[in-house]
Amino acid sequence: MELEEASQSTVDPEVRAYVYSLVSALGGTAADEDGRYVLGDDALACLKDLKKWLKLHDEKANRLDVARCLAEANLVKGDLLEILSAWPEAATEDKIKSKVALACLELLVPLTWPIEKNDIQMTVNHHRHVPYLQLAQTSYKRAILEHESATVLRTTVRIGLPSIALPMGERSSRDEGIIKLLLYFFRNVAMISPPQNLPNEGKDGEVSRSATVEAFHRQDVLALLLTISSNMGEDFNTQDTVIMEVLFHLLKGVDVEKLFMDKKQFKSRNDDDLKSLLAQEAGMHRSYAKNAPTRHNRFGTMIWVKRDDAGKVSTVSGQDVLKDSQQALSKMDQTKKWNKPKQRVKNEEPAYDRFDMPVPLTESASTHLRAFVEEFLDSGFNPLFNHIRKAIEREAERVLEAQQQQFFYLVSWFLEAERVRRRRKKEAKKRRRDKKLEETFEADSFALIATVLNQESFILLNRFMQDRLDLKSWREVQAGMRCFTQILLIVQDMAESPLEEDQEIAENIQNRIFYEETTHDRIIAILRGYKDQGFGYLDSCTELSHVFLRILERYSRENVDLQVRSRRRARKSKKATVKQRQQTDGDDEDEASEMEDVAEAERVSRERKFDFTRFSTKFMTQACIDTFVSFTKYYTDLDTEQLKRAHRFFYRVAFKQDLSVMLFRLDIIALFNKMIKGPEGLDSAGPMFREWDELVRQLVKKMIKKLEQRPELAVELLFSKINSTTYYLEYGYDKQTTSSK
Amino acid sequence: KENGAGLGIDEEIKVTKKRAPVPKLDENRLLSPAGIPKLRRIAKERLKFKGKGHEYSDMARLLNMYQLWLDELYPRAKFADGLAIIEKLGHTKRMQTMRREWINEGKPQDSLDSLGEG
Repeated sequence: MELEEASQSTVDPEVRAYVYSLVSALGGTAADEDGRYVLGDDALACLKDLKKWLKLHDEKANRLDVARCLAEANLVKGDLLEILSAWPEAATEDKIKSKVALACLELLVPLTWPIEKNDIQMTVNHHRHVPYLQLAQTSYKRAILEHESATVLRTTVRIGLPSIALPMGERSSRDEGIIKLLLYFFRNVAMISPPQNLPNEGKDGEVSRSATVEAFHRQDVLALLLTISSNMGEDFNTQDTVIMEVLFHLLKGVDVEKLFMDKKQFKSRNDDDLKSLLAQEAGMHRSYAKNAPTRHNRFGTMIWVKRDDAGKVSTVSGQDVLKDSQQALSKMDQTKKWNKPKQRVKNEEPAYDRFDMPVPLTESASTHLRAFVEEFLDSGFNPLFNHIRKAIEREAERVLEAQQQQFFYLVSWFLEAERVRRRRKKEAKKRRRDKKLEETFEADSFALIATVLNQESFILLNRFMQDRLDLKSWREVQAGMRCFTQILLIVQDMAESPLEEDQEIAENIQNRIFYEETTHDRIIAILRGYKDQGFGYLDSCTELSHVFLRILERYSRENVDLQVRSRRRARKSKKATVKQRQQTDGDDEDEASEMEDVAEAERVSRERKFDFTRFSTKFMTQACIDTFVSFTKYYTDLDTEQLKRAHRFFYRVAFKQDLSVMLFRLDIIALFNKMIKGPEGLDSAGPMFREWDELVRQLVKKMIKKLEQRPELAVELLFSKINSTTYYLEYGYDKQTTSSK
Repeated sequence: KENGAGLGIDEEIKVTKKRAPVPKLDENRLLSPAGIPKLRRIAKERLKFKGKGHEYSDMARLLNMYQLWLDELYPRAKFADGLAIIEKLGHTKRMQTMRREWINEGKPQDSLDSLGEG
């Protein structure tokens, strides 16, 4: 009795009674009608009333009571979906039935609407209902995707079709509303994912991304998305952001490489994956077995470790330490109980905005999705993203804060997809050419993605990255970084295109990107500013620096007289102008007024020749190195590409810039030692192991030489180096410039 | 205390023992004889390298020396933690001046003079 009352008291009983009576008045399955669903007499009015309840009770009073009641009353699965599925395709013309269907959609959208948890408006009432509702939404999604008898999504498309068919000018605001409602419904369905912190019913597969993609494909939602996005700007206008949201929630976290693999590769890749995983596991067992005890655990060995000449000893127990002294020392360290207190990392971002969590797809889902992506690139990419870019630029009202980040993420995703697609095509062509000896190799131009490679986009991207960097909004900075990385990579591909036109354009773009010194500085600032932003951020920022440095290096080698526009503090240039005046002394008032201008404007910009070595030295600061070190700390989880990235960076530091002293720090050395010599080191059969081994060996060689030459390094090994002493430690004498002053 | 005799007695009986202060790895400890001065000494005595072809064993010897030194200086912390603490201490003003001094001590005097004059 009491328990029942408690569950009743979650919601005001009177509200519950009203809502329940409405739900039961809606209709039901009838025994004498072979279990078909029969609408109630006033079904339409009931639906309208329910909508009013949601609006006037839940929204106005900022509660979730009605939503909760509806979830408990099983409205979606028991009624709404039944009504929709009972709307036969032949009856599309039936006015009343289509009205009922629309009313159902109008209820489905608010019920599946994502519940934003981080609101300041959260009340006790919300805290009570949200977990329940999140689970309920997952079950809604399951029911929508997997209805037994009907295709719910296709039915809802049919609701919108009459409005979509009208030309844009003739649509009433009601028609626009219906289209929007429809798209929001798809967005919600794509977005709902099982809540992470709540127990689920172990049926994740039915609401997974693969299931969503499959259902969207089967029920023609993907086709609708394609149609709308390729006609963006002509027949559609304000729907761009919603379409983008649907795309975002469909594509976030999907691995482009894997998506574009054909069946054979996919299979063999999976087989290889299993093989390599098994090999890895075997390796782990082997390294464990090497140190594992050979006798039972009560065998009771104990040894002394002699410490120094004074005869001090420490004791270590366990027979594994007998074998080698290294083991004994590491065991001594491991048995210490105290840990340095660490700052706890906050992770309060909502999961549905995260795009750096990899999502697996089944084979058939990835086939469908790939077909969609290719078609989208061919037809929808330019119109849609151009349209959204313009909307963002003029700060249109419909563009929400989070959507800018989605925009940049999607641009980066599609650029990568285009790159991978071109590569695959090329490979396929090559293979075919080998067989049939086709001599004409026809290259496609990059026009399909041209709209994101114009000057306006770069300005927008730069401004976005700078803004978000200033605001410390890291997730968004990360989206910007990924986008910029992909742009650089695609421009690089373009420069290698056989078409002369493409090369020219690429040249042009590179010129524009590398002309602004603020861009260079920003990349350094991002790399330097890493602190606990998480692995995804770390991955993106190291990748960006890596790609940027490499492309810029090559470009500046080819264009020796590259100019950059640098901005400096007014003070400095003021000094310079004063100096200049003292020298020339003859110049007239022009300069005086110019000086005033300079004083007014805080910064002044001027051109100067670009010097790559000087620029890359800026990457060799301690902060940047620390970022790469914390990246390398994840070495067991890094793939070949990522390990290569870190390797190249350290190689650059130590041997290209002659700043190996910066790496002579004990924690770095210990990390490198552990990577090569274990325990839990790099896989010695892995493709990057030899390169790393060589790097570490060279580095240690250098360090030991240095230690013998300059014993004071023994102390400096403990610390980050001071600027003034780095030079001395490296070369053995002070810098000329500092000593002359 | 004056009002209720019984209460007063109770209060005085309450003796809160102060917790023993946790030893800290700070500048003072690092600069004490067991700290960096000792490190400088033992580094000179013990760091003998085999050189070419023995990079890894040399590296292991180096790391072991530091680990034992740190264990004696501050037994509480694990090696990696201790290194992190010391690295952080290196940014303080006092440590920086000390570090510069140590380096200057190592510099060959004649070349220093000639550079200063030049």
